[in-house]
Amino acid sequence: MEPHVIEFRNVMKRRRTKTIGPIQLSIPQGYIVALVGPNGSGKSTLLNMMIQTVFPDEGEVTWFGESHSKELPIEVRKQMAFVPEQLSVEEQHMTADQAATFRASWYDNWDGYFFDELMSRFDVPRGVKLRKMSKGERRKFEIAAALAPRPKLLLLDEPSSGLDPFAWKQMIDQLHKLMKSIDTTIILSTHVVDEIRRLADYVILIHHGKLLGMVEKDSLLDNWKECWIQGDASIVRELPGIISSRQENATTISFVTTECLEVENILRSAGMTFIQTRSLELDEVLRLWIDGHQPAGMQK
Amino acid sequence: MRIPIQINENSAEPLYHQIETQLRSLIISGQIEEGTLLPSIREFAGNLNCSVITVRRVYQDLESEGLLRTRQGTGTFVAGVGDQAREQFKRDAVIEALNLAVDRGLAVQMKQEELIELFMEVVRERYQSRGGH
Repeated sequence: MEPHVIEFRNVMKRRRTKTIGPIQLSIPQGYIVALVGPNGSGKSTLLNMMIQTVFPDEGEVTWFGESHSKELPIEVRKQMAFVPEQLSVEEQHMTADQAATFRASWYDNWDGYFFDELMSRFDVPRGVKLRKMSKGERRKFEIAAALAPRPKLLLLDEPSSGLDPFAWKQMIDQLHKLMKSIDTTIILSTHVVDEIRRLADYVILIHHGKLLGMVEKDSLLDNWKECWIQGDASIVRELPGIISSRQENATTISFVTTECLEVENILRSAGMTFIQTRSLELDEVLRLWIDGHQPAGMQK
Repeated sequence: MRIPIQINENSAEPLYHQIETQLRSLIISGQIEEGTLLPSIREFAGNLNCSVITVRRVYQDLESEGLLRTRQGTGTFVAGVGDQAREQFKRDAVIEALNLAVDRGLAVQMKQEELIELFMEVVRERYQSRGGH
């Protein structure tokens, strides 16, 4: 098993109108983890606690196996980069180049050539002050600046908001490239189903400040299926993970299951086969998961 | 190189199994030659929109079957496939396809003799149309 880049133990954060936690979470090194959940579920707070722009009220967070309740040591912080959803106003009066110089000054692993390459790929104007940039340009600058030090842990809070489809595609490619280094980890919050499909190894779902679990993305796709078989409700009653079923006609019944792999085993040993199966779309899966249906193969 | 693998998301067959079966047949049939460097796990996962966990599993399985070789620091290569293995694979692939056909027959309660007769008919037609090989 890989080492964990970040661990949360009983982490709580009380906001005026809502409470986040208690959260238990372990992020294994070397993966892309998508953080999903409805608006206001606590995704941003979680990311902010990972980079200590927010401190938990209770519980413990560890980075690369060490806990730092005061301030993250600079050596640890240098391994990390963050693109927040609300971009900071402090550098607004700077041009992209000035802001880059400022950031490079405290990332000694800053790769200036790589940054230049990203800026031209993303087509971001360099002499323009950040506050004069369009939302998409500003975000592209932030992504380029976050990638430039080739961080071991990259945190992205809805990175695609404001990006056009071309920039979005380039961001995906660059994130894949960053992941070539096997000990790099990316945690990103997103609402974009296609982003989860293209990037994620694991999916974490949070809802109303509670972590509903972490599961392999492919396991969701393999297991959450709508299936058609010959038979009636008496057969479906015997199958695991059934969410709903419908008698289509005298001989055919359809059902939705969260455990298609197990269902297939059972059917096969009974000498039965599927007439048809269909994978649920990721957004359907997430909706059903939020509604309380647990996925198979959840990570502890 | 880009490996031509088609994933059918609506199949009941798990992703890793679909990828593994197709990659295995590409290797054994010789469409991917011995010594070919396969994409890195992350790259392959990116091409297929699946997770690195799935691709790693496929590489590990095929490595333990002796079809792939991993060299530390360089990557994963296609290993040599013996003639015997290739013949065996051809047979297995055909047997698997025949099984599917028999499943269909069973599903519509076809009698054994009837199925054999139909099978012979199809074989005759197909081989004749190819020029009687």
